[in-house]
Amino acid sequence: MNEETAAAIESQGASRYYTMGDTTVHAVENVSFSIRRGDFAALLGPSGSGKSTLLNLLAGLDRLSTGRIVVDGRDLSTMDSEALARYRRLTVGMIFQSFNLIPTMTLADNIELPLRFAETPRAERHDRVLELLTNVGLAHRAKHRPTELSGGEQQRAAIARALANRPSVLLADEPTGNLDSRNGQEVMALLQDLNERVGVTILMVTHDPSLAAHYARQSLHMADGKLVTEVEAER
Amino acid sequence: MNRQDLFELAARNMRNARLRNALTTMGIAVGVASLVAMLSLGIGLQGFANHQLMKSGMFQTVFVTSRQDVRNMDENSDAKPEESPALNDDARTKIAALPGVEEVAPEVRATAEVQYGDKTNFTLLAGLPQSAREEDSVEKVKGRFFSGPKANEVLLQRDFAKKLEKDPASVLGKTLTVRFAERQNGDTSGSFSIERQEKQFVIVGLLDEEPFGGMRMISRARVFLPTQTAESMNLMQPADTQQLVRSTSGARTYSMLTVRMKSAAYAEIVEDAVKKMNFSAYSYLDATRSMRRFFAVLDMFLGIFGSLALAVASLAIVNTLVMAVLERRREIGIMKALGASDIDVKKLFFAEAATMGLIGGALGVALGWIIGRAINFGSNLYLHKIMKMPTENLWTVPLWLVAGAIGFAVLVSVLAGIYPAARAAKLDPVQALRYE
Repeated sequence: MNEETAAAIESQGASRYYTMGDTTVHAVENVSFSIRRGDFAALLGPSGSGKSTLLNLLAGLDRLSTGRIVVDGRDLSTMDSEALARYRRLTVGMIFQSFNLIPTMTLADNIELPLRFAETPRAERHDRVLELLTNVGLAHRAKHRPTELSGGEQQRAAIARALANRPSVLLADEPTGNLDSRNGQEVMALLQDLNERVGVTILMVTHDPSLAAHYARQSLHMADGKLVTEVEAER
Repeated sequence: MNRQDLFELAARNMRNARLRNALTTMGIAVGVASLVAMLSLGIGLQGFANHQLMKSGMFQTVFVTSRQDVRNMDENSDAKPEESPALNDDARTKIAALPGVEEVAPEVRATAEVQYGDKTNFTLLAGLPQSAREEDSVEKVKGRFFSGPKANEVLLQRDFAKKLEKDPASVLGKTLTVRFAERQNGDTSGSFSIERQEKQFVIVGLLDEEPFGGMRMISRARVFLPTQTAESMNLMQPADTQQLVRSTSGARTYSMLTVRMKSAAYAEIVEDAVKKMNFSAYSYLDATRSMRRFFAVLDMFLGIFGSLALAVASLAIVNTLVMAVLERRREIGIMKALGASDIDVKKLFFAEAATMGLIGGALGVALGWIIGRAINFGSNLYLHKIMKMPTENLWTVPLWLVAGAIGFAVLVSVLAGIYPAARAAKLDPVQALRYE
């Protein structure tokens, strides 16, 4: 395995500027780091530090102003919008603080959605959805709507959806931010299990240093759009 | 995303805003219904008019006159009358040889004195060709048609028969004496003499009106005899005087030949061929050309008015879909985060628009059909009860109109979806997903 593919995520001088009226906001400024394949990394920092913007850049939802981001060997800065959509579909999975399940769809329909975008054959989909729901312990909830579920269950369903197309990288934006501690622990345990058992690379945005210390092997600290320190946890 | 998934998602989205989508769809349905109602009325009226004309057998007939004739009906022609050939036996044979021609009959029309019992009338006599047997007016003949092309039999116009007997039907089988002027060729070419003759006929039938009578106006005949019989009688005809002045050979010419086709499909071909022979030709097809133009304009206006409601409905589609984009901002953001491309999002909104168009179109056609039936029923009731006229189908919804109306509704809906779809596709997922 060469240098380029050894890293799951490689960021070189990544920057994102916004112009708001006359002023230019440097949401992310010259950020360089690297996350190894199969790693569990945490991105820490206070609100407004630019960690969510960085996550959106990594997710292919937002575009770099300057610099370069390579995920799983794919250079995001050279992709057109169609290629970015394909990247979001197949290479990365996203989970959010507010779960972002579509409330009018059942869990099964929510999880099937990325499979529809990927044009997975109909015959395979049903089994795949059931498998994903079973993996997060929600097979019995397949026909329920998200609002009928607890926050923890919703986030587990969101994780199942993020993994539908077997991405190599999972990006989590404050996954426990809306959960009580018990549900939060359950979700974190699930993420840890996926990381260890399936080998999916995880980058988790959080403002909780203890969460990072407990689960992550690598921590990135951001402040004012810049990377402050890069800590490699000893576990 | 493949098409089936697209329409499944579109259907789901539409179910989620059931009332709004249903109202918009009804709007389209009303628009399509008005379009269908308007156009089917236009088509129905046109069909009705055509049917009436077709029934008369007029379309199977072409009237040929010489351009030398003062009654030249081909006014647009700039050919000089002198250069036009004579409408003689030679021309008659040539025309009879044209494809699709069933019979060429000269117009024989002359005044004569008709004696029935002790009643004597001076009236117009006309030859009726064998092919007239298929005419609508002849089919309804009371009694029967001529037994043969040379029979000494006559048909009477009903009103004329009424003058002879109180009960017109009682003239059937009786004998009629016709006194007429016979034209006899003179010693020198270009001259003829006229002699009084008398001939007896059996009355075999009664006609309501003269076949191909529409053109005749005042010169409508009362007594009809087989054309060949009439020809053999050498009746002195009004046009003979003109012919005498013009003709140098003294050979017999015809003032008019009635060319009867096997079907209306040949009328145009024969008419053109006859015109190439440098004769004047006229058929009812010419008259209906302007009628058809009128109906084309009528259909266009009806179509425009019918489309107005659909145009209004298309604005409702724009409104509904723009609302949907606003309402589903977050959902669109989620879909994009999960890997939906801009094109997928765009297609989804087009699918929703097309679905509304399809359902609205189908409902509209049904509604338009019902409205049409109702108006047809109402107008027939009026015709039947008040006007004492036979019922007519003024309303036709042909299959192409059904397919066309639904297709048009889908097209209009998809066009209306362009703006909302573009707006949805342009949506920035980062903005859309920002935590509220």
